[in-house]
Amino acid sequence: MERAGGLRRERWLGYLFVAPMLVFLLGIILFPLGHAFLTSLYREAGVNIRFVGLGNYARLLDDPTFWNSLGVSVVFTVASVALHLVVAMPVALFVNGLRRGRTTLRLAFLTPWMVTPVLGAIAWVWLLDPHFGVANYLLRSVGAISENRIWLGEPGLALGSIVAVDVWRGFPFIMLIILAGLQTVPREEYEAASIDGAGALQRFLYVTLPHLRYLLVVATTLDVINTVRTFDIVAVMTKGGPVNATEVLPVLIFSTAFQANRFGPAAAIGVVLLGLLLIFSTLYVLLLQSERRERRI
Amino acid sequence: MKGGAAQPGNLVAWVGMGVLLAITLFPFYWMVNTSLKPQSEVFQSPPTFFSFNWTLTAYGRVLATRAVGRYFWNSAVISVGATLLAVGLSALAAYGLSRFRMRWERPLILLLLFTQMLPGTLLIIPYFQLMAKLQLINTYTALILAYVSFALPFSTWMLAGFFRSIPLELDEAAMVDGCGRLKAFWRVILPLSLPGLIAVGIFTFLLAWNAYVFALVLTTDPKMFPLSVGIANMMGEYQVLWNEMMAAAVLATLPVFILYGFLERYLVQGITAGAVKG
Repeated sequence: MERAGGLRRERWLGYLFVAPMLVFLLGIILFPLGHAFLTSLYREAGVNIRFVGLGNYARLLDDPTFWNSLGVSVVFTVASVALHLVVAMPVALFVNGLRRGRTTLRLAFLTPWMVTPVLGAIAWVWLLDPHFGVANYLLRSVGAISENRIWLGEPGLALGSIVAVDVWRGFPFIMLIILAGLQTVPREEYEAASIDGAGALQRFLYVTLPHLRYLLVVATTLDVINTVRTFDIVAVMTKGGPVNATEVLPVLIFSTAFQANRFGPAAAIGVVLLGLLLIFSTLYVLLLQSERRERRI
Repeated sequence: MKGGAAQPGNLVAWVGMGVLLAITLFPFYWMVNTSLKPQSEVFQSPPTFFSFNWTLTAYGRVLATRAVGRYFWNSAVISVGATLLAVGLSALAAYGLSRFRMRWERPLILLLLFTQMLPGTLLIIPYFQLMAKLQLINTYTALILAYVSFALPFSTWMLAGFFRSIPLELDEAAMVDGCGRLKAFWRVILPLSLPGLIAVGIFTFLLAWNAYVFALVLTTDPKMFPLSVGIANMMGEYQVLWNEMMAAAVLATLPVFILYGFLERYLVQGITAGAVKG
């Protein structure tokens, strides 16, 4: 802040520069958000809309569809985020260790993240087609399955398939962040560890991981926030089916609002989802602060 | 030698990565392969991995029988519009944040982080009601305004970081030379932060190009569909002609890949700089 000292007298000018952006955020995000909260206090009854206070929220408590969606969302998010990390870590280590072709390989691994999610999902619907899909054909050829599976038609399989597609689409971003973090690990520490007789695994555990810890916390949190909000892939691949097996919360919100035309209850589920995200990100901020304090010592 | 996992002699690592890379890229190969097949070969079992009958017929047909060209145009107008607005607004805001002391700076940054976290499926409910009231359903405006707002927090944050790395003395020198604040911003800061502006531009363009749920709700007239909605709609049909479908998907993906090929460096720099700094 010291260096901005000379411009103190112009403090109001700073706000003038920020104002246009603020107008957008207030008008297009915060005002509608407030409106959504109000909407969640009303319920549609035929052509009438009446005020029900927290009635929509109370109803959620014993609404099995809501609890199912919450469960599906948790399973989907935990599985996807964990697998993003599990896939991204070795890829990042590998790419980082290359002497040549690092940029090319990074770009190649990034492609699933670049493609429009809806279009990637459509391609996967075709790959997983029960009769003509190449996935069934390949898996049969290598003996992984004995007959064609209906990947998006059986509850457990469908959720698994959605997770798989999200792992394909989501691991590159985590890889990118880990790659950036690896650049900050001092070379000498690896050399020192090698001299002390540490193998590859030990170097990873005692040199790489401690350096990456902070970054991994950041990346995982951002990834959870993004994954919980996933709509496109599921909407295109299963629309939440079969029998609600893949109905993550965003899909439930969407169908409640725009297919059943029940805006009040839909907004209530949305506010609950936002609440969960807020709790999660508050934990994250607290974690970061304690981590930062630790680093300073 | 760095990570230990990629020593040239480590055959397991190389084979594992080879398999993973193949799985990562295979869907793209399959998109292209399918799009080049004649109709008769699409539903052939076992499927052909390489065909001597490759043809561009599916591309011709999908362009002739579907409004893919129109979807393309809609996506382009929306994405370019959103990009221009977002770059301009975030540059101004970032300049304000990086060059002036503001009492409300912390709450402002918290607000930016908060808006980044909101679920789109929640926001679309009131936004749809609002746009219906303003009679902006089926307009570019409704979508451009939404995408600009989604892009602004991250863009502002990223650009503020770029601006902070430019010494204040440069602004002051320009102002001594008789430039006003705005002129100093325009003449000195913007040219120096071109990589940042490019990164923010690509970020917004891709955000708008890839977006789905807002367009799904805010466009009901097929003439106004962007690519994501238009192509996804083809899935709902009685029999999906997969070669034409994949042809459309390839066409819609090309601009994105071209953009990345040229500009990946800037975007990766911008994103990772933000993430590492935390």
